[in-house]
Amino acid sequence: MERIDRKEAIKRTALLMGGVVFAPSILGVLKGCTPSTDRWQPSLFNAKQAALVTALSETIIPAGETPGATDAGVPGFIESMVKDIYTEEQRDLFLEGLASFNEVCEDETGKSFDRLTSEEMFEFASIKNVEAIESEPLEGPQFFLLFKELTMVGFFTSEPGATQVLRYEDIPGIYQACIPFEDVGRTWAT
Amino acid sequence: MNLNVKAKKNNSYDAIVVGTGISGGWAAKELTENGLNTLVLERGRNVRHVEDYPTMLKKPWEISHNDRVTPEVAEHYQKQMRTGYTIRQTTKHWWVRDTDQPYEEVKRFDWIRGYHVGGRSLMWGRHSYRLSPMDFEANAKEGIAVDWPVRYDDLAPWYSHVEKFAGISGEALGLPQLPDSEFLPPWDLNCLEDHLKDSMAEKFNRVLTIGRVANLSRAHNGRGSCLNRNLCMRGCPYGAYFSSNASTLPAAEATGNMTLRPHSIVDSVIYDEELGKATGVRVIDAETMETHEFYANIIFLNASCMNTTLIMLNSRSDRFPNGLGNDSGELGHNVMDHHFRVGANGEYDGFEDRYYWGRRPTGFYIPRFRNLNGNDRPYLRGFGYQGGASRQGWQRGVRELAIGKPLKEFIQTPGKWTMGMTAFGEMLPDHSNRVYLDHDKRDKWGQPTLVFDVEFKENEFKMREDMKNDAAEMLEAAGMKNVTTFDDPGGPGLGIHEMGTARMGRDPKTSVLNKWNQVHSCKNVFVTDGACMTSAACQNPSLTYMAFTARAANYAAEELKKGNL
Repeated sequence: MERIDRKEAIKRTALLMGGVVFAPSILGVLKGCTPSTDRWQPSLFNAKQAALVTALSETIIPAGETPGATDAGVPGFIESMVKDIYTEEQRDLFLEGLASFNEVCEDETGKSFDRLTSEEMFEFASIKNVEAIESEPLEGPQFFLLFKELTMVGFFTSEPGATQVLRYEDIPGIYQACIPFEDVGRTWAT
Repeated sequence: MNLNVKAKKNNSYDAIVVGTGISGGWAAKELTENGLNTLVLERGRNVRHVEDYPTMLKKPWEISHNDRVTPEVAEHYQKQMRTGYTIRQTTKHWWVRDTDQPYEEVKRFDWIRGYHVGGRSLMWGRHSYRLSPMDFEANAKEGIAVDWPVRYDDLAPWYSHVEKFAGISGEALGLPQLPDSEFLPPWDLNCLEDHLKDSMAEKFNRVLTIGRVANLSRAHNGRGSCLNRNLCMRGCPYGAYFSSNASTLPAAEATGNMTLRPHSIVDSVIYDEELGKATGVRVIDAETMETHEFYANIIFLNASCMNTTLIMLNSRSDRFPNGLGNDSGELGHNVMDHHFRVGANGEYDGFEDRYYWGRRPTGFYIPRFRNLNGNDRPYLRGFGYQGGASRQGWQRGVRELAIGKPLKEFIQTPGKWTMGMTAFGEMLPDHSNRVYLDHDKRDKWGQPTLVFDVEFKENEFKMREDMKNDAAEMLEAAGMKNVTTFDDPGGPGLGIHEMGTARMGRDPKTSVLNKWNQVHSCKNVFVTDGACMTSAACQNPSLTYMAFTARAANYAAEELKKGNL
């Protein structure tokens, strides 16, 4: 498959996003939000795997005005899924996928993914995201999308993700079938 | 007094009810309210309303692993998991462990069960529809199986009776093929559902309405109004949907006439050759493995279709060598379910400024519209649809070309409106669709296991063509884009509407039960769960089981008082 030019990928992404510009000022928000694993003690992942999972999940859902993946405990969630829910075969596939994601990163950037700057992480992961979406129909399940889905599930079922980024009502009370979107304001978490 | 007589006296009741699910709960309520001292037997553990719903209040972030179970747990639920929705951390305690409760499949059959007080009334889908005059006449008219021994008018007052107590929300339409219930106010259709409704009326002269469900749209009979959490399957803290635990069993208990005995597996019905009737049941205590006998004047079998059949097949005597009441040889035959998982999905451009508040515990319903006036399709009977519309949520972001902050922002606005519907079709009774006992393979309580030999047949497969294409056609006519169809029947049983194995009929030579749900040849045994059904119709069946049970229980109480039983 033809390699997609990074800039082209970002441009396409921007088009799909309705013209959101990836200005440095926006990316700047990512700075100062270095992923931390303080509260999470990995029990399956080694230090390198934990650092990669933390860096990549935070790149997919970064902290900014609202909490990001690390704040929401997503790295620990991902580990718990891989460790407890996956079969041995699925677990091996995940760990291999993570390793080969990083190998490609080292080949292309000269650095391990978790050693990149936030901007570099975003750029590299954006390309991998586009590549994975384009490869999937022909090549089948892609590690990047599996990881992205795990990150999103973990984040949007977390309290910060559900209540601060999306809208959550534990007990809605009434049902209103057809109301202006502004009355809700954000996508429902459930 | 010798010991046997004393034991018999202590273990004697006016009535015994076997099972505590949708129909057993109703039998318990009606019999006890008629003043009968009633023993209610349940093979599983006790489940007290609210107190024993361990996950009912859990928020998404209070549930680990995205509610999924580990492979070690899943191993025990391989058949129960075939639905795709039953075995979650928050609900798995309501379903049987297949490793404890085995059954055999000559052909795939998805037997999805819950063994505890309340049975599947705790986890049911709550859709509640009356059968129609047409449904009770169809077998006779078409020469299929045997004629129902009752007509709609026999059951109509009992539908009203159970609806007034249970609380059914819905919209009255006056349709001959789907008679109205005694309704509580309906939930509303959302924007896109309303749009489809208008389009269907205009272009096809077909009806779409809100799903009629046993959810309370306002407080009713001491139970609270639904608060639109849509977490019904975990058990409702407000008692806002009908279950035995929230509704019928408390009513039975309030009479002071009910003795509830959990952990009681009924082995068989005791038949007295001299008296020519049943005198009680043999029970295995599931915890101690001890055997007990309990005695009563009347016995209601409400163990759910397949387990009622198992008990009857296992109740062998000189008079009934092939199982209690099985003179006809029909016991265990004519297994039916509904066939579904066929329909269409689509997307809609529009209503982008509209959204909804709350998680409605129902969707829309499209009443049957095929073969209503004679048969003009290449199959008999018909189908209805259940479906719903909603806006895409955060899940659509996985395959979006964005990550990072743009992804977060993108996801905060809901996506397109999408809509889907699946048909529920009638399955014809067929003698060759059957269950039978394997006495060599026994479960850990020493009970014989059931063997399933059931399949969908030609009429069902022909019907599925319409079920699929009509859905797509209606969605496209309403301006839906990217309409796709699906058709994956799975195994029979997946509808969790298994029925028909001890059917009612006019002739004891071809049926097991009479018009009062009495075993033809053993009149003090009544069967009012799904086993009694002579045909399946296409409507969700629980409401009909409730009505048959209330009718039979009141008849039984009257007959007992008259000294006829």
